[in-house]
Amino acid sequence: AQRHSQQDSHIQYERVGADVTMKCGSMDWDAAVTWTANGTDIDDSHLNGSYLILKNVDLTQSGQYSCYEGSSWHLKYQTNLRVGVPPKEPVLMCRSNNYPKGFYCSWHLPSPTYIPNSFNISVIHGTREMVCEKDIFPKNRCHIRYLQLFSTVKYKVTLTVTNALGKNSTTLTFDEFAIVKPDPPESVVAKPVPNNPRRLEVSWQNPSSWPDPESFPLKFFLRYRPLILDQWQHVELSDGTSHTITDAYAGKEYIIQVAAKDNDIGTWSDWSVAVHATPWTEEPKHLTTEIQIIGETLTQHKPLALRGPGYGDPSAGGVW
Amino acid sequence: PQNLKCVTHNLRKMVCTWDISSKRRHGQTEFCYTIDDVIPKCFKTKEKKVEIPVPGSSTTVKITTYSISGTAFATRHFEIHKKDISFVPLAPRILSLTPDFSTSTLTLKWSDNGSAFPYGLDASWEIEILRKETMEDVTRESYNSKLTHEDIIHSWNWKSDMPLECTSHYARIRHYINITQFDGHKDWSDWSPVEVVPGKDTEPSGSGLFPQDTVVAVGSNVTFCCVHEEGRQVQRMSYGAKDYPLIRLSSRSSAIRVLNASASDASGTNIVCRMSENGMDGTVLFVGYGPDTPEDLSCETSNFVIIKCTWKPGRASGLYGVRGTKYSLIESISGKNVSCEVNEMKKERVCGFPVLADQKTYSFVLGVSNPIGQTEASLLVDLNQRVNPETPEKLTVSENSSTSVRLRWFINGSFAEIRLLCQIEISSAHSEQKLHNVSMPGGKFSTYTAQLNALHPYTKYRFRVRCSAADHFWRWSDWSGTEEHTTLEA
Amino acid sequence: MAAADIPSAALRHHDLCSRGIRLARKMRSDVTDLLDIYVERQGLDASISVAAVDGVPAAAAERWAEQSGTQRLLDNLAAYRAFRTLLAQMLEEQREQLGDADAELGPALAAVLLQVSAFAYHLEELLELESRGAPAEEGSEPPAPPRLSLFEQKLRGLGVLRELAQWAVRSVRDLRQLAKHGPGTTLEGSGTALGLPESQ
Repeated sequence: AQRHSQQDSHIQYERVGADVTMKCGSMDWDAAVTWTANGTDIDDSHLNGSYLILKNVDLTQSGQYSCYEGSSWHLKYQTNLRVGVPPKEPVLMCRSNNYPKGFYCSWHLPSPTYIPNSFNISVIHGTREMVCEKDIFPKNRCHIRYLQLFSTVKYKVTLTVTNALGKNSTTLTFDEFAIVKPDPPESVVAKPVPNNPRRLEVSWQNPSSWPDPESFPLKFFLRYRPLILDQWQHVELSDGTSHTITDAYAGKEYIIQVAAKDNDIGTWSDWSVAVHATPWTEEPKHLTTEIQIIGETLTQHKPLALRGPGYGDPSAGGVW
Repeated sequence: PQNLKCVTHNLRKMVCTWDISSKRRHGQTEFCYTIDDVIPKCFKTKEKKVEIPVPGSSTTVKITTYSISGTAFATRHFEIHKKDISFVPLAPRILSLTPDFSTSTLTLKWSDNGSAFPYGLDASWEIEILRKETMEDVTRESYNSKLTHEDIIHSWNWKSDMPLECTSHYARIRHYINITQFDGHKDWSDWSPVEVVPGKDTEPSGSGLFPQDTVVAVGSNVTFCCVHEEGRQVQRMSYGAKDYPLIRLSSRSSAIRVLNASASDASGTNIVCRMSENGMDGTVLFVGYGPDTPEDLSCETSNFVIIKCTWKPGRASGLYGVRGTKYSLIESISGKNVSCEVNEMKKERVCGFPVLADQKTYSFVLGVSNPIGQTEASLLVDLNQRVNPETPEKLTVSENSSTSVRLRWFINGSFAEIRLLCQIEISSAHSEQKLHNVSMPGGKFSTYTAQLNALHPYTKYRFRVRCSAADHFWRWSDWSGTEEHTTLEA
Repeated sequence: MAAADIPSAALRHHDLCSRGIRLARKMRSDVTDLLDIYVERQGLDASISVAAVDGVPAAAAERWAEQSGTQRLLDNLAAYRAFRTLLAQMLEEQREQLGDADAELGPALAAVLLQVSAFAYHLEELLELESRGAPAEEGSEPPAPPRLSLFEQKLRGLGVLRELAQWAVRSVRDLRQLAKHGPGTTLEGSGTALGLPESQ
């Protein structure tokens, strides 16, 4: 017989582990009916009279459930069952990588809910509510323009996530300076220096996202090591975007990275993309002497342990 | 009529009351009484209460009730003996309930109405203190007095365990008069009407954290309360770095209780009250020790200009700045009083007192006080017996001959009233160190000289000198600087 | 200004700016250290929030980028003159409250007070160079400190130091803006800028 499905179905959300009972629309309890899940008949063991009983539902039981009247196969009831969980406390992070223009906040859920969620963010500065303009991409992100600089008043950002099964929220409170973290330096280039077997010339550029390096200069942290060693060497540079390494091991390939920080506030950026370079070397004359020299030189150089990005750099929960 | 009861409040008059058992509506009642077999007196009343004199021994009573229409429908006779009468003094009246917020003390004043009673009766009083919106009972204390046939105003103090600002405090009083010669039943009076000291939590804009910036002794128990505007909630209250359980006093006041407070830092311990909508209030508590009685108080003079007193302070109070321990030196003979500048961090304690003209004996009292307590030490000093001269200065040696020299030195001070004993130390390479004592009349900021004979010619000597009081030795001065001199050749 | 003077004025301006930046950065570092000492000595919770404190110049600035050089100097000078008074009051309060027990906070406060005074004087020099001259100080007697409870006094001190730390950062930025545009420029964006060494 032809199944007639003129009933428009609605969505029903249920928690994982819940017991679900579905009535067949207005049909009596003792009416003869047939239930289908995604078009497949459900056997009578799940029925209690005309009611469909689903015990301790799990994610796999999400789908379209339909009830047809026994004889006429008229569709009497249809619903879209969506099994999921209420949202956990969302992870929120706010950061200013374009100081002093503004800062952005981004968020994610620590675990999926399997059902649609809606996010609402409020940004309060003292008594003033600020607008957080949603970015088109990525979705879970919005940005705020600084209306005031150098304020001692803290910012309070509250993110609330809601879905059909529940609601949760998280709040961050931070100072203007605490979240300033530039993007890594860009266009890092390392080159050998002709006729200088122990030098490497490294140059880079301010991150393009940093709007006014002249008024808000960045300082940099360079780390480099020969691939054959694990211990990094560091040097901090308070200005300029280039540096010449003068103590490189001759003939050894080096890996080099740079990080940036505002001169006065905030925290270090992540490390830049790593670049590799090998110092200039003469045409090899006698292979053996070279090894013997390396043996001596390896022991002389003590790595310089300095404080910098990634070295016990405090990062407040959720704030960089 | 039944259950006739008579109560006297003043042993002269008594109030008699009775019940009517029948449910029928009745009009007036006729009350007739005969006191000590004198002629009966009668009067009509609508009340079921009359006031009649207290009988010497007994009273007979006849009560007749009449219907509305005036026909008598019930009569009853009673015999009231002295022992049947109860004595209940009238409820006392509180004259005043005065708060002292700085000490959290309530002072209750009331009149004992003694003029209404014979002389010499013992009166017992009970005073009840209540607190909070719910007027919870805090304490009930007893107080005894003797009636003197006069109206005496009594005053009674009570120190609250929490600041009076925290919430409203109420007081009421009742009393019991022990009339031994009264045979009847004796009972406590009713409670007086309640008197109230309103808390800050009743004032429209009352708020704050109490007590404000106080000082207490180590080991004290202290209650802090946070009074806030209507509608706000106290979320938490901390003492130092620790949160304490909240005690609700009223809708606008919450408290915490800190037991056995330990010594605070110099800047005090902060008590912070955090409220809804970022509200916050705070106060500071200073916990320290009262001053120890100074030990080894000793006074001397080195120049007869200033008397220098020193002492050992004992345990540090833990209180600093404006709350630090204050010292003052009072000299009771002259009545002069000097306050001493003392550095709490330094071990040594010194205070200077001017030498007074024509005064030899000084009766010192060193007063020591801080916000927690005070103490003192005393010392009687005969100044002449406490001379520790300044160090001799400008020692010079001049030769007289190959075997004698003349020493000259200066002592800063006014020793005109005593004799000085000075000791000259003579040392040379090849003979034993010798001490030569010489005594001389003291002078006023003078130079002193002494001659040394029997020296070896052409010998290099080193001299130095110290002095003390000749008659009552107390202490040597420090040694002067050393002066070298070679005697002339023979 | 005679032709010969322009380079020397620019050089002097540049020198004052770079020295001012170094002084402001040192002051900021010392104020940050002082804040740690203050919070610890006063038994305060470092995360305690302090409402705006009366009489303390707020470092917060709206449309900061649009300010003229002279306005920056005037705002800075007014602020540091105020901080000079506030820090002197705090020093007096510390002596009164802690007396001999304080061997750390008082000296640290006094050191920062010295730097604030020096920086105010430095700003006056810059204003002299702007041929404007520094405004006279208002009245000789500073306003008496408000009558506060001890806890309010502690919070007020914290508010003063936090605001001063912010001002120190703002001053570094302001002086950089000034250095960018040279002396005597009222509008942003004109004048030639001499490079500024950022040495520590």
